[in-house]
Amino acid sequence: MNFTSDVVIGLEVHIELKTETKLFCSCSRSGSQEPNSRTCEICLGHPGSKPVVNKRAIEFALKLALATKSQIADTLIFSRKSYFYPDLSKNYQISQYELPLAEHGHLTLSDGKSINLTRIHLEEDPASLIHPSGLAASQYVLIDYNRSGNPLVELVTEPEMTSPGEARNFMKQLITILEYLEIFDSDECIIKADANVSVKESNYQRVEVKNITGFKEIERALRYEVARQQKAVKENETIQAETRSWDADSGTSTTLRLKESEEEYGYIIDPDLVQIELTDEWTKKIEQSMPELAHEKSKKFSEQGISEEMATIISKDKALAELYESVSKKVDPDLAAKWIRRELPRVLKYAKKKLADTKIKNQHLIDLLTLIKASKITETVGQKILETLVHTDLDIKKHIKDEKLEAVADSNELEAHCKAAIKEAPQAVEDYKAGNEKSLNFIVGLVMKATRGQASPKEVLEELKKLL
Amino acid sequence: MTKRAEQLKKIDKELHLFNALDDAPKSTKGKLKDVAVSVKDCICVRGMESRAGSAILEGYTPIFDATVIEKVRKAGAAIIGKTAQDAFGFGSFSVNVGKDMRIPKNPVDKTRSCGGSSGGAAAITKAADFSHIALAESTGGSIVAPASFCGVIGFCPTYGRVSRYGLMDYANSLDKIGPMAKSMEEIATMMQIIAGYDEKDSTSLKEPVPDYTKALTRKIKGLKIGVLKNNFGKGVDIEVAEKVADGIQKLQDQGAIVEDITLPITEKYGVACYYLIAMAEASTNLAKYSGLRYGKQEKIEGTYNEYFQATRDTFNTEAKRRIIIGTFARMAGFRDAYYLQATKVRTKIIDEYKKAFKKVDILISPTMPFVAPKFADIKKLTPLQHYQADIMTVGPNLAGLPHISIPVGDDKEGMPIGLLAIANHLEEETLMKVGTKL
Repeated sequence: MNFTSDVVIGLEVHIELKTETKLFCSCSRSGSQEPNSRTCEICLGHPGSKPVVNKRAIEFALKLALATKSQIADTLIFSRKSYFYPDLSKNYQISQYELPLAEHGHLTLSDGKSINLTRIHLEEDPASLIHPSGLAASQYVLIDYNRSGNPLVELVTEPEMTSPGEARNFMKQLITILEYLEIFDSDECIIKADANVSVKESNYQRVEVKNITGFKEIERALRYEVARQQKAVKENETIQAETRSWDADSGTSTTLRLKESEEEYGYIIDPDLVQIELTDEWTKKIEQSMPELAHEKSKKFSEQGISEEMATIISKDKALAELYESVSKKVDPDLAAKWIRRELPRVLKYAKKKLADTKIKNQHLIDLLTLIKASKITETVGQKILETLVHTDLDIKKHIKDEKLEAVADSNELEAHCKAAIKEAPQAVEDYKAGNEKSLNFIVGLVMKATRGQASPKEVLEELKKLL
Repeated sequence: MTKRAEQLKKIDKELHLFNALDDAPKSTKGKLKDVAVSVKDCICVRGMESRAGSAILEGYTPIFDATVIEKVRKAGAAIIGKTAQDAFGFGSFSVNVGKDMRIPKNPVDKTRSCGGSSGGAAAITKAADFSHIALAESTGGSIVAPASFCGVIGFCPTYGRVSRYGLMDYANSLDKIGPMAKSMEEIATMMQIIAGYDEKDSTSLKEPVPDYTKALTRKIKGLKIGVLKNNFGKGVDIEVAEKVADGIQKLQDQGAIVEDITLPITEKYGVACYYLIAMAEASTNLAKYSGLRYGKQEKIEGTYNEYFQATRDTFNTEAKRRIIIGTFARMAGFRDAYYLQATKVRTKIIDEYKKAFKKVDILISPTMPFVAPKFADIKKLTPLQHYQADIMTVGPNLAGLPHISIPVGDDKEGMPIGLLAIANHLEEETLMKVGTKL
């Protein structure tokens, strides 16, 4: 390949699919953390046991293939990838080799750059190794087979990313797609990347960095690797073809093995599994069941009038995007966007909750924003109600009436409140008159307090200026 | 201990046919009530030591029953024990047993092999004087070969007809479980019980199971027999050829029509193709035996690789040979020339049989080119000569075709001779009706 950029990065991403059961047996994919409690003869690799493929996992992988506009194979064929490692229950991994599930897809970064995908295939996860006192110091290793046989999708990109930031961007876009498709849950599924990194200075000698978890880590690990390579070249060291392991705790990587030649896996077709036809009928059915994806939603939203930036941010989170879509049909799209983009995330972040875990329903937001738009309540009151809705389901109109939260719309009443406040704060009045505009905010605060937030700060400010 | 258990103990002491014996197996109501069922060691029986004839699985008692075991238990059978075999099925004479394990002897002549790899199964079928059916297994001829050498019926169904779930794998694309018995009625009864789709085995077939016992009494008038004429010439004992020819004559006398058939590709490439595929698959199947989760364990010391190496040294010479050859055949750079080439040849072999079955209903040949050899003579064979013994049986096994070995008499020394009949896929009934006519 003819590279020209300073840095060249390709990714191999492993994504745990959010299925109920494992890829080749009926053990639960997630659940009990008690070691080796979710196991059977199949995922433990007992002699005589046979795998039966989980159809759900195939459908999930097909969704990703369709979402990335990949070419889907006619048949699904599994191979045995042989290597000896204690986390591998059969000392071979059931994976795919010659004919992957899908090839030649692409994924678009947030800046519009398209990254080509080499392949997407299905494989089983090995068990997890536990080193009780750390990797280096541990005298023994424990094996937990709960993870053994979990369904993974492996996605391989072409080496087309030119910076660690781009790799992070790729991972973010990928996770957005996975969550839209509901085939992955970032709270409980593992996503791991191995990266191929090379720099111009070494004439693009390829180094593989393994074991990078999550999209924030990827940028960090790659920045480290790029700097390491550039420094090595500067110091006249040779960059070797090698596989390095990223250690997130120390923020460094270490050599796992030097690559003298290609790894030898002795692939054969797994004779325990039959070929499965991936018919057009099946893929069409899956395609029809797929939701509109983030980039499609974003495009639609900005066409409806909100800014492109706002549309992109809202559509990144499927729950927010769907909420916006519903609310913006009934209230001013700009107001809806502002609240869903700013107020709602702020409230959720403070409560440490996901939208689905709160009592907030689409209709709540519609009611709330309709009232704000009509100046029936102030934004401050609106925010408070939203905070309450995290925990408590409310009939908003009734709540406002019961709690007397209506906005102070009567100008006489407002004038009275302002006059009272001016009396209370002679110092601030003096400062204002001396030219300190900001001291007026203190008086506004007093009015807001007196009206329990039911007055519009803007109107109060105007009234105060008029009075003074 | 029951009378039968005492008998079994006596037979085992003399002939070394079992790797595990149950002194008091239970029999319940059902089609197999009071029928003793012996199980080849490679089929998992929950709670009964199951080693596939190997030393590396010493002490391993499966945590589940194979599907066939579930089925025969439901039919009321008494599971009497695990029969001796070449370790993992690697052999034709049951002499390749696990390290420090016993070699089973032929009940007809103790100085001779009972055949392999289901040697113990065939020998106990011959030696039992009580109601007994064996569950055996064939990869390249391991049911019909020992049946022929011991003078019993060995029946190998179509690939996928009987679930392989719980069968310790030799070569998954070739392995089949089938019965051995003294009568065709027993064969049909057992097939009726064990055949059928199993959702736990992806390769098992969904086609409905016909009534096999009904097939036993069907006439063979007009049945078209293809005689595999090249299996009667060079390298085949004259007495074997003659007795099998007599068998064919017997079928002709009952109205069957005979013509000669040759299978040039199968005859020329069958053995090579079979061993390449079988060993490539076997070398991956045997990787799991590393002393980590079950079976024999070595002292834990050194690195993973050192530990794996020490444990895997328990494999016998033949297992090591097959792991090495099988691994070589699938290595990058050799894969295309060996493993992938063999899979292509296999397709051609299947086509060749399919073409033959357009002309005839059944193919007949001797099962083995000779009678059960003496242990002293087996020692003189090179591995290649050993593999060549399977020349007549690898074809139907590669093509997944149902086949049967039926005793058709003895040679001058009293050693049994078997006739091999091969039918088209899922045509087990044809074999049933032919079996009763000999």
